[in-house]
Amino acid sequence: MAGFSQTFDILASGLRAQATRLRHVSENIANTDTPGYRGKTVSFMPDYRPDVPEGSVRTGQVQLDQSTLPRIYDPAHPMANADGYYDGSNVNLMLELADAREAQRSYEASLKMFEQTRRMSSAIMEILKR
Amino acid sequence: MFERLSLFSMAQNMATHAAARQNVIAQNVTNSDTPGYKAQDLTALSQPSEATFQMRRTAPQHLLGTTQAQWHRIEIAGQADPNGNTVSLEEEVLRSVDAARAHNRALTIYQSSLGILRSALGRSGG
Repeated sequence: MAGFSQTFDILASGLRAQATRLRHVSENIANTDTPGYRGKTVSFMPDYRPDVPEGSVRTGQVQLDQSTLPRIYDPAHPMANADGYYDGSNVNLMLELADAREAQRSYEASLKMFEQTRRMSSAIMEILKR
Repeated sequence: MFERLSLFSMAQNMATHAAARQNVIAQNVTNSDTPGYKAQDLTALSQPSEATFQMRRTAPQHLLGTTQAQWHRIEIAGQADPNGNTVSLEEEVLRSVDAARAHNRALTIYQSSLGILRSALGRSGG
C-alpha cells in the first residue's frame, strides 16, 4: 500500500509551492511604488526528483516581468532625469490581487484534502484501538 | 491480518483502492496550477482478487510485471485552462468525498466482520 504519508508529502509540496507564490505576490505589492522595480513571477512545474513522491509540484526559477517600465513625469522626484521623467514599477495591482486570490483558493483546497486524508488515516487507527 | 477470509480481503482491497484514489486526487489538487497537467483518476474497483487468474510464484521477484493490477490510472477529459491544465477543483473535492466514503465503508465492513469473528471466538465483540 502506497500509504497516506505519501499523500501528505504530495499535498505538502503543493502548500509550499502556493506559499512561495503568495510570497512573491506580496513582494510585488509591497514594491508597487518602488522606482524601477520589475514584478516577479514563478512558474509551477512537476517535481521529478527521485526523493519526492510522484505527483509533487515545485516552483521554478523566479523570473522578472520583462514588460516596459512606465515613465512617470515628476520633476520634483529625486530620481527624475533631465526631462523630469523617472521609471516606475511595472507591477499590475489588479493582476497581483487576482493571483493572490487564486493562490489562496488552491491553498485552501490542498488544506481541505489534507484534513480529509488525515481523517481517513485516523479511521484506520480506530480499528487498532479496539 | 485475515487475508484468507474473503470478506476481509475484499474490505482490504476496497480500503487500498480508496487510499490510492485519494492519493491520485491529492496529486490533482496539488497540480491544479501546473501548466499542462492532465487530471487523472483510478478505474473503479472490480472483482475481488480470487476472480482474476494469477500465476503461482515461488518467489515474489519472479515474473515481475506480469501480475495484473486491479486498477490503473486513467486521464479524465475535461475543459482545459488556457495553460493546458484540466483540473477542476470542484470535481476533485467531490471525488475526494467519494473516496473518503468508500474508505469509511471498507473500514466499517472490516470492523463489523472483526466483531463477528470475535464473538465467534467467544469474546465480547463490538
